[in-house]
Amino acid sequence: MRILVVEDEPKTGDYLKQGLAEAGFMVDLARDGLDGLHLALTEAYDLAVLDVMLPGIEGWQVLQGIRKAGKEMPVLFLTARDSVDDRVKGLELGADDYLVKPFAFSELLARVRTLLRRGSKTREADVLRAADLELDLMRRRVTRDGKKIDLTSKEFSLLELLLRRQGEVLPRSLIASQVWDMNFDSDTNVIEVAIRRLRAKVDDSFELKLIHTVRGMGYVLEAAE
Amino acid sequence: MILRRQNSLTARLTLLFAVVSSGVLLILGLVIAELVERHFEDMDVELLEGKLQLVQHAVLSARAEGNFDGLPEQLQAALVGHHGLAVGVWGADGKQLFLSDGADFPKNNLPPRLGGLLPKTWRGLGEQHYRGISGQAPTGVDGEPPAVVLLSTSLTHHDHFMQSFRLAMWALVAIAALLTGFLGWLAARRGLAPLRNITHRASDITANSLDQRIEAGEIPIELAEVVNTLNDMLGRLKESFDRLSDFSSDIAHELRTPVSNLLTQTQVMLSRERSIDDYQDVLASNAEELERLSRTIADMLFLAKADNQLLVPTQEAVDLKVEISSLLEFYEPLIEEKKLQLAFHGHTEVRGDRLMLRRAVGNLLSNGIRHTPEHGLIKIVLESGEDQVCVRIENSGETIPSEHLPRLFDRFYRVDPSRHRSGEGSGLGLAITKSIAMAHRGAVSVKSADGRTTFSLCLPIGSY
Repeated sequence: MRILVVEDEPKTGDYLKQGLAEAGFMVDLARDGLDGLHLALTEAYDLAVLDVMLPGIEGWQVLQGIRKAGKEMPVLFLTARDSVDDRVKGLELGADDYLVKPFAFSELLARVRTLLRRGSKTREADVLRAADLELDLMRRRVTRDGKKIDLTSKEFSLLELLLRRQGEVLPRSLIASQVWDMNFDSDTNVIEVAIRRLRAKVDDSFELKLIHTVRGMGYVLEAAE
Repeated sequence: MILRRQNSLTARLTLLFAVVSSGVLLILGLVIAELVERHFEDMDVELLEGKLQLVQHAVLSARAEGNFDGLPEQLQAALVGHHGLAVGVWGADGKQLFLSDGADFPKNNLPPRLGGLLPKTWRGLGEQHYRGISGQAPTGVDGEPPAVVLLSTSLTHHDHFMQSFRLAMWALVAIAALLTGFLGWLAARRGLAPLRNITHRASDITANSLDQRIEAGEIPIELAEVVNTLNDMLGRLKESFDRLSDFSSDIAHELRTPVSNLLTQTQVMLSRERSIDDYQDVLASNAEELERLSRTIADMLFLAKADNQLLVPTQEAVDLKVEISSLLEFYEPLIEEKKLQLAFHGHTEVRGDRLMLRRAVGNLLSNGIRHTPEHGLIKIVLESGEDQVCVRIENSGETIPSEHLPRLFDRFYRVDPSRHRSGEGSGLGLAITKSIAMAHRGAVSVKSADGRTTFSLCLPIGSY
């Protein structure tokens, strides 16, 4: 998967490139709008991450150029200003998602993966598995090692999310938004508690732990230690 | 012409005084002058008529003595001492019988026909001013037509008098205008002194002395209201200003503490080589701290936007019961962990911004959950009144002392300063709820008594 990052701020550009590369993507970094647009039009990318404020030509214009050339790759733009106008403008011009600076890297990674997944229309499985854990979407049943685990409906959704995106570190804000549709930063530790309760049902009585806390980033479900 | 100058109250009052007093004096003077002139006229006419009688008498007696020959002598004798008086007598045939020295009758009237009238006043050859009358003097002889008599008196003295009288009057009016203007200016200045006083006091008040007030004691009642309004305004300004400066110092404090923690921790770690685990540990803890910081900054930006009227809620029908139910679902893990009892009544709809309202109520709920002890009770009631709907969230727990209640919605305000940063709250949640309520033209309130604290969020029904 190739990703184009257009970002003029040196530190941000570098860590975006490093972070995405370490997450397994091939990353090209352009430091200004013209270079970015040139790369976007000449190379083939699966996704572009655009900063709005760029020297030379703005992120908006890069985005317009990309869409004019008929390129349909998903575009995620980064903006420092949390203004509704900015968002609306970006989405109208054909951006697929946006993030307001400062953002957590884990959040960016999660969004990037969501956008890329949207592109590839793989048939969703009916049963999600990790090691000996099974989640049956049709029958809404969860078993581990063949034993049934009783979950509330939200716990079920939470586990489903973790299973669908196993191996990915999911930030708390993403979990709150995907499972509970809560799009504001709650000032409570409610996600932590919810994960703890889920872990008590799914992991506590088993040797192999599946749900892990990644400090400072979020939670991940992984079968391997 | 319209003067676009700024009006001075003193100048206006001064001008008004001067104009009014000189106007009154002027009218008075004109009336007096008119009266004096009439009086003079009456006196002149009386004098002339008296003399006419005298002349008539002389004519009668001269005719009786002979053929008017003795008339000049008689008349001269009669007119001795009457300065400025002139007499002319003509026979009916137009023959001049007598004309006193210095007589200056209008020439076109001479010789006067019987019944021909003199103008009331005229100017003679030397531009002298005269008043005159004409009359008949019967001769006493049957069948003989009467003689014609003209009498005039010089008005020079009167004119002089009137001239100096008018001069004096104008001078008086001018002086009076100046004097009353000056007095008016003095009075206006004295009268407006309290206003200058207020100005002076008000100009002394700066951001650092907002607790000063303008004393209302020595102020006339007309200005008392202005002063009270000013003082009220100062009070409100002071309050806002205090909050603002509290907020700034709070911001500094809220940001400084975590930043200095981060810095110290990082520098200590860097001071010598450590194991990978140690590095990971510090980075993770830094990440957590930074995440909290970034959330605080985002919240402050949200509040700053609200302060600048940049929060524009969308308008959609929001079912508060549905919203609260999903919030309760979200907070369920916390509620269960604390084993709280939950009661939820009522249902109501309101127009507003769904996401903002969810956040506003969410903050109230999380605040309630945080401050309820284990096994406590949380009661949520939705009330719809005639023109507003209210969400009331009541929780059991310690009663909040009443002096804290009005400030609970202030930014970073904490009832117990020692609990600073102990919880997970940024200290901005309730302030955000208040901002959202205000953006919807609603209000928030709180009361606390007998171990129960109730937060209310009320929104007007319909469009805001």
